[in-house]
Amino acid sequence: MNMITNLVHYILDEHSTRTGLRSQLNEMFFSNSTSDNSALFQVLTQLIPEELQQEWLEWISDGEKRGVPEGFSDSLPRVATTHLSPDDTCAICCCVYLEDSYPLVVKLPNCNHKFDLQCITLWLSKSSTCPMCRNDVMSSKTKIDTSMVELEEDWGMYG
Amino acid sequence: MTTLPKRIIKETERLVSDPVPGISAEPHEDNLRYFDVSIEGPQQSAYENGVFRLELFLPDEYPMEPPKVRFLTKIYHPNIDRLGRICLDVLKTNWSPALQIRTVLLSIQALLATPNPNDPLANDVAEDWIADEDAAIAKAKHWTALYACRPPPPSPTGPSETNN
Repeated sequence: MNMITNLVHYILDEHSTRTGLRSQLNEMFFSNSTSDNSALFQVLTQLIPEELQQEWLEWISDGEKRGVPEGFSDSLPRVATTHLSPDDTCAICCCVYLEDSYPLVVKLPNCNHKFDLQCITLWLSKSSTCPMCRNDVMSSKTKIDTSMVELEEDWGMYG
Repeated sequence: MTTLPKRIIKETERLVSDPVPGISAEPHEDNLRYFDVSIEGPQQSAYENGVFRLELFLPDEYPMEPPKVRFLTKIYHPNIDRLGRICLDVLKTNWSPALQIRTVLLSIQALLATPNPNDPLANDVAEDWIADEDAAIAKAKHWTALYACRPPPPSPTGPSETNN
């Protein structure tokens, strides 16, 4: 129940951002995946300021769809520097790839949109869509093998 | 405060050097993530001839999270509530890091041109809009004249003469 106390303090803290809130809720969502989850959600929904409630409910309902499995980004095909034009720019950081002497550029399956690996990894941890065309990168035929990825590993650091 | 990401610097530079017609966005000197925005009401809309002031804030997570934008000028619109909060998909679930300050502001300008009472944020306004669209548009025009057509705050160069 320490978690709830923390969360209450967190929500009451007027400096807290929505993202911070989300990751707190995320933490609870996965670490308390036991029987009293629905009660927990009810309490939480009441605690959350009115303007955030809808977002929170939406977030729970599509919680499982968010992000891609770990290891997905690292499995994306690299784009060789020789295939980059001098003015090719990452849409996420707005930097020209070739301004970096050793750019790490990858392309997404199907749509082939290019991004810095670092930028797209961060985005794909939140959403499984391409920032340029909103194509769902997970709908690709090239499913990656997630059996080796220990998903619990990441949550463990919060536990 | 961490250093300002290159992307924000580039976006800001471009907003100044290549401004979007009818839209201005200027960062605060003491907080480069906070922008004073003004949007001209689109022609042939109920907001025509109005200049609407907004505030825009780039959270630390930007561009992984959308900017936070709010109307400061009072406006009668079914997708904008009395606190100035905006119901716009790209500001919430449809945000993408390939979007920018300028594209967000363009979307808001487009929202002024095409109010959508079927996806309301201000329920009372949306109900009025659906019940009697002409009356709602008349009210929106009235509010535009009342709140969005006042002369801008005095500029540092001092008051200008009223010559045409």
